[in-house]
Amino acid sequence: MRDGRLTRRTFLAGAAGASAALALPGVAAPAVKKGTSLRLWILKTYVEPTNKAIEGAAQRWAQKHGAQVTVEYFTFEDVQTKYVAAIENKNTPDVGQLETGAPARFAGMGQLLDLTSFARQVEGEVGKPPANVAPVTVIGGKTYALPWYIMPAFWYVWRDVLEKAKVKLPTTFEEAKAAATAVNRPKDNFYGMGQSWNRTADGYGVMQSLMYSHGVGWANKDGKYQSIKNAKMQAVMKWATDIYKEGIQPADTLTWTGSGNNENFIAKNIAQTSNGPSITFAMENALAKATDAKERKTREEALANHLALPHPGGPDGRRMQAICMSFGVFKNAKDPEAAMSLIAHLLSPEETVRVMNDSYGQFTPVLDKSRAASKEYFNKNENYRTFGRAAEWFVATGWPGPVTAAAAEVQASNVLTDAPAKVIVDKWAVDQAIEWEDKKIKEIYETLS
Amino acid sequence: MAPHTPQRSSRPGKAGARLDGALPMKQDTATALLLLLPLLILVVGLIFYPIYRAVWLSFTDKLVGYPERFVGLRNYVYLANDDAFHAVVRNSLVFTVASVALKVLTGLAMALVLHATWRWRNFFRGLMLLPWITSTVIIALTWRWMFDAFPGRGFFNSVLLDAGLLSRPIAFMATPEGAMAAVIVANWWRGFPFFGVSYLAGMQSIPGELYEAASVDGASAWRRFWHITVPGLKHIIIVTTLLTFIFTINDFNIIYVMTRGGPGTATQVFATYSYEVAFNQLRWGRGVTISIFAVPLLIAGIALVSRYLLRDRTA
Repeated sequence: MRDGRLTRRTFLAGAAGASAALALPGVAAPAVKKGTSLRLWILKTYVEPTNKAIEGAAQRWAQKHGAQVTVEYFTFEDVQTKYVAAIENKNTPDVGQLETGAPARFAGMGQLLDLTSFARQVEGEVGKPPANVAPVTVIGGKTYALPWYIMPAFWYVWRDVLEKAKVKLPTTFEEAKAAATAVNRPKDNFYGMGQSWNRTADGYGVMQSLMYSHGVGWANKDGKYQSIKNAKMQAVMKWATDIYKEGIQPADTLTWTGSGNNENFIAKNIAQTSNGPSITFAMENALAKATDAKERKTREEALANHLALPHPGGPDGRRMQAICMSFGVFKNAKDPEAAMSLIAHLLSPEETVRVMNDSYGQFTPVLDKSRAASKEYFNKNENYRTFGRAAEWFVATGWPGPVTAAAAEVQASNVLTDAPAKVIVDKWAVDQAIEWEDKKIKEIYETLS
Repeated sequence: MAPHTPQRSSRPGKAGARLDGALPMKQDTATALLLLLPLLILVVGLIFYPIYRAVWLSFTDKLVGYPERFVGLRNYVYLANDDAFHAVVRNSLVFTVASVALKVLTGLAMALVLHATWRWRNFFRGLMLLPWITSTVIIALTWRWMFDAFPGRGFFNSVLLDAGLLSRPIAFMATPEGAMAAVIVANWWRGFPFFGVSYLAGMQSIPGELYEAASVDGASAWRRFWHITVPGLKHIIIVTTLLTFIFTINDFNIIYVMTRGGPGTATQVFATYSYEVAFNQLRWGRGVTISIFAVPLLIAGIALVSRYLLRDRTA
C-alpha cells in the first residue's frame, strides 16, 4: 500500500504538474450519448496506485458524460490469453490498452478501427509522439491506436558496490560485463550481474536492446526479413553467453521468472540487472513502511544507492527496446464516438499527469504536451531524470523496420532468448544457435507473408 | 416397461404375435430415445464437438483473428520436423513416466502404513491428503521457493548450509536435469495422496482371511504383500496409473509456474508448448496439433487397459 503522507517535494511536484496541465487545452472530444456504456481494458502492473489512477481517470470521464465505464484488467501474464479469447469469441472491449506489438497484430486481423483522422485531431491539440514512437501505432499508413506512454526497463546498479570497487557506471554492454567481473564475489553469494534469458520482457526485452545496440535487426527498414547470420550477431551471442560461462551471475539465473531479478537486486544479491521502475517503487514503498529509525536509515541508504541507468549501448549506439502502451478502439465497439471521447479524455495532459504522478516513474508520457507537463515530475532525482528520458532511446520490436505482426511473433516465439539458452544449456556452438534462430525467424516471416 | 399384451391382437398365430409386440417395442424405443436425448446432446456438445473441432483445427492454418484454411497434414509434418517439438515429446514422457512411477511407489507405501493398525492413524490419513487438496499454483510456488538457490530464501539451501553440510548453495534448477527433477518432485508431491487413498480403499477390501491363511502357512510379510496385496490391488493400480498418466501428460500449472518450460526448453511439455504457440504466437492450428499429437498415444493406452480389464472380468 502507498504511504498516505505527502512530502513537501511531492506536493510541489504535484502542484507544478497540475498547474502546467491545467494551463493546457483539453482535447476536443467526440460527442457522447447519455447512458452510454463502455468496456475499457487496461494493464494492471505491480504498481497498484497507477492502476487505481487510470481507473479513476476513466470514471471521471463517465461521470462527466453521464456514461458508464466498466474497467477490466489484464496483466503482462495474461494479456495474450485475454485478447485471443476475446477476439475468437467476438467479445472484445470497446477500448483496449494495447502493448507494443498489438496494434500491428490486431489491425492485421481487422479488429481495430482506423483512427487516422481522430489521431490527427488529438495531435493537433495534445501534440505528437516522438518520431521513434509514432510508428508503433501506424500500420500501412493508417493510425490504429494512439500511444499514451512508454514503460521502459532500465539498467539497475548498486552505486555503492561499483564505487567501492572503483568501477565506473557502465554505459555499454561490455562495460557492464567488466563491472560485473570486478564486483563479483561468489563466495559471499554476491554476483556481478543477473540477466536472465527467460520467457518474459526481462529476457527478450534486453536481448532486443543488446541486438539493436549492436546494429542487428532481423527485419530491414521495410519490415521484411533479413538474415542475422553475421559477425555483429556473433558478438551479441558472445556477450549473452559469456555472462553465464564466466560465473558472474547466480547459477540459476536462467530459470528466473518475472520476479527473480527484482528480488535478487533488492536483496542485494546481484550488482546489476535490467528491470522496470517497479524496483524503485518497491524501495520507496519499503522506506515509507520503515518502522524505526535504524530501518529507515538502512532503507534510505538503499534507495539512494540504487541507480537506474539507461540500458547499456553497443557499437552501434544505444537503443532501448521498451513497451509502448496505446489505446485502440475495437471494431465491435457499440459506440465508437464515445470510445474515442474516452481515449481523448485519458490522453489529456491533465489526466495523463494525474496518472503519471501515481506511477513511481514507470509511466513516461509520449505526447508532446503531456511530456512538457511531466518535466517537473521527472526532475525529482537522478533516477527519475533517467526515467523521463526513456522516449529518447526507445526502439520498438522489429527495429529498424516498423512493428509488424511477424516482428511481434518473433518476440512471442521466444527464439530470441532460446538461442542463447541453447548455447548455455544445451552446449550448442554460437554459430549453430544463430543458424537455428535465423531459420526460425525466416520461417515466421515466410508463413505470415 | 409395458408388459406384453397379446389380447390387443385381433390376429392370432405367429405373425400376429410378432405384430403384437412391434407396437409397444416401437413406443419403448421412442421413449428411450427421448429420455436419452438430453444426454446425447450433452455428450455430442461437450465431448464430440470439441474433439471434432480440435481435430479439424489441426488440419488448418488457423491464426487468431483470421478464418481457418484447410492445409491437410502440414501442421503434423511441421511438428514432426520441429526440433523444439521433439524436445517437448521427450520432456513430456520423462516428466509423466517419472512422476507416475513415483506416485505409484509412494502411494503404495502410504497405503501400507495407513492400513496398519496404530494410534493417530485417522489423523495421519487426513494429513496425507493435504497435498491433494492444496491449490496447484500454491504448490508450484512453494516448491519453487524450496528449490531457490539463494541462502536465506531457498529452503533446502538454507537448511543444508545452516547444518554445515554445504559450503556453497546448490542451484537445483539451473540445469535441465535439475529443473526437470524439480517439476517432477512437485508433481509427485501433489499427486501421491490420490494413489495412497485409492490403494488404501483397495487394501481394505482384501479379505483378512487370506493374510491369516498365508501367515499360518509361514509366508513372510514380503510374500504376503507380493502374492496377496499386489494382485488384490491390480485393477486399482492400473486404473489409477492410467488416469494419472492422462492428467500428468496434460499438466500445465506446475511447469508454467515453476520454470515456464526453462531453462531453455528443458521442461517444455505438450501443454506449455501448445499454450505458447496458440496464445503467444497466435497460431491456433499448430497449437491444437501439439495437443492432438498425444491423443493417439493416450487412446492406445486406454484401449489396451480397458481390454485387459474386460478380459479379466470375463475370464
